[in-house]
Amino acid sequence: MLQIVIHGRGGQGAQLAGNLLAMAFFAEGRQVQTFATYGGARRGTPVSSSIRVDDRPIRLRCDIEQADAMLVFDASLLDGRLVSMARPDALIVVNSRRTPAQLAQQAPGCRVLPVDGSAIAQRHGLGRIVNSALLGAFACAVGEPDLWTLSGTIADAAPKDRQQNVDACLAGYRLIEAQLRKAAA
Amino acid sequence: MSPGNDAVLLTGNHAVAWGARLARPKVVPVYPITPQTPILELLTEFQAQGELEAEIITPESEHSVMAACIAASLGGVRVFTATASQGLMLMHELLHYASGARAPIVMANVNRTIASPWGFWPDQTDSVAQRDTGWIQFYVESAQEGLDTVLQAFRIAERVRLPVMINLDAFYVSHSLEPVRVPPQALADEYLPPYAPEHYLDPARGESWGNVVTQEMYWRHRRDIGGAMDAVPEVAAEADREWQRLSGRGWDLVERYRCEGADLVVLTMGSMCGTAREAVDELRDAGHAAGLLKVRLFRPLPAAELRRALAGVRDVLVLDRNFSPGAGGVLHQELRAALYGTAAAPRVHGALAGVGGVNVPPAKIAELAGRARSSEPLPEAVWAR
Repeated sequence: MLQIVIHGRGGQGAQLAGNLLAMAFFAEGRQVQTFATYGGARRGTPVSSSIRVDDRPIRLRCDIEQADAMLVFDASLLDGRLVSMARPDALIVVNSRRTPAQLAQQAPGCRVLPVDGSAIAQRHGLGRIVNSALLGAFACAVGEPDLWTLSGTIADAAPKDRQQNVDACLAGYRLIEAQLRKAAA
Repeated sequence: MSPGNDAVLLTGNHAVAWGARLARPKVVPVYPITPQTPILELLTEFQAQGELEAEIITPESEHSVMAACIAASLGGVRVFTATASQGLMLMHELLHYASGARAPIVMANVNRTIASPWGFWPDQTDSVAQRDTGWIQFYVESAQEGLDTVLQAFRIAERVRLPVMINLDAFYVSHSLEPVRVPPQALADEYLPPYAPEHYLDPARGESWGNVVTQEMYWRHRRDIGGAMDAVPEVAAEADREWQRLSGRGWDLVERYRCEGADLVVLTMGSMCGTAREAVDELRDAGHAAGLLKVRLFRPLPAAELRRALAGVRDVLVLDRNFSPGAGGVLHQELRAALYGTAAAPRVHGALAGVGGVNVPPAKIAELAGRARSSEPLPEAVWAR
């Protein structure tokens, strides 16, 4: 089972991102479960979305305490408390302008991959809507879901700016792809 | 999205709304409250699109919602509503009135902590606190079970003429987006024929309800409600069997999961059953004979079935995601009462697990099971987290 947690701030689209990711995995024939918790949450306060992906029906109805992978919408959320909710060797994709080395101290032991989702969103005329760029980056880092399944899911769900969202998803994907290629070289 | 045989992704709340749509209610009085609001939002959407021919009423409070439900139901039409937590608390007075009026209303309640302090977390104290109101109560584990149970609930309610409450845990079920099969309308119609009660209020016919009665009449009326409740296990089992025949899915009233030869049985209700299945599998893999009893029907408590299922079991671990100050865990107390005086009753251990929505992973359940196996049971439930 693949267990993912998306952390963001209320209003950034972390919950929607969780749903889109689950929809893409589901479109690939996987079993999925995603839930977000909110209530006291409002614009700017920390919110999270949990996603489970498996090949058999998912029965667990509890929080994810040791995530395999995390997607963090805001680098200021990346602290010890957050890292303690991930597996020691978890993959963490962070919306940040900083380098992997700079971020490594904030999540010792984890594989931290920064992606400047905010810049990608700006470049594609999406303002502060970062979730399509970050999902593309995340899918590349995790190795699934397939980029075309994901971009198709985003295109179907986008209420407007469909092409811009798809392009931002591709840009996020390519950015991580280049980063991984550079690291491997 | 159109109904059919392929699974689609729906949240627990939206699955419940689909169940309600398929049941073709004529009146739906609703008031929004987190985490239930998505149910009424989707029903309102269905109605606006002409897919639900119901009158949706939005009174000023949950108390008035239930008042509208009772009046509409006594008018002879099928009625659905949904609420959670504080909303259910505000309805309390009229919950008694609804069962007394023998109004077969179906209501979904999303289990959420009761104030104060304020919270939004899964906790079943809201609905177990309504156990004496004369409502039949189901607790569901998944979105699919939620949808199916709404249809079953109408069939049962209209057969015994008592209202039914379907409880789903906040977030773990209400907001969990997961694969659900939405049955075709024709199948739902075959299962649930139009509601046509013998008695209903109609100025042209001149029947009434709500007059003052004598002690004797009141006594008879309460006894009749008891009789209707007593019939529920058999009627609900038939409703489940028939649904299984038509849809291929049955849920049982008390589900036995890997209970064959079990010397320890975990007993709980709602979403925690899913997590407990994983715990039971882990215990079985480690060589322990463990099983799960899922209490799906809580009111009336299927005591005879529980006694049968637990015959020969050494230890029962009851997990209560509720807390009744001064009494402990409600399911724990009810099970002890159901087993009292039976020959070779199992040792009953109670744990207040998940109260306030604290996380209960499979490892915690396995740990509590291990402790139950090796210690003497206490009359009170113990706090666990």
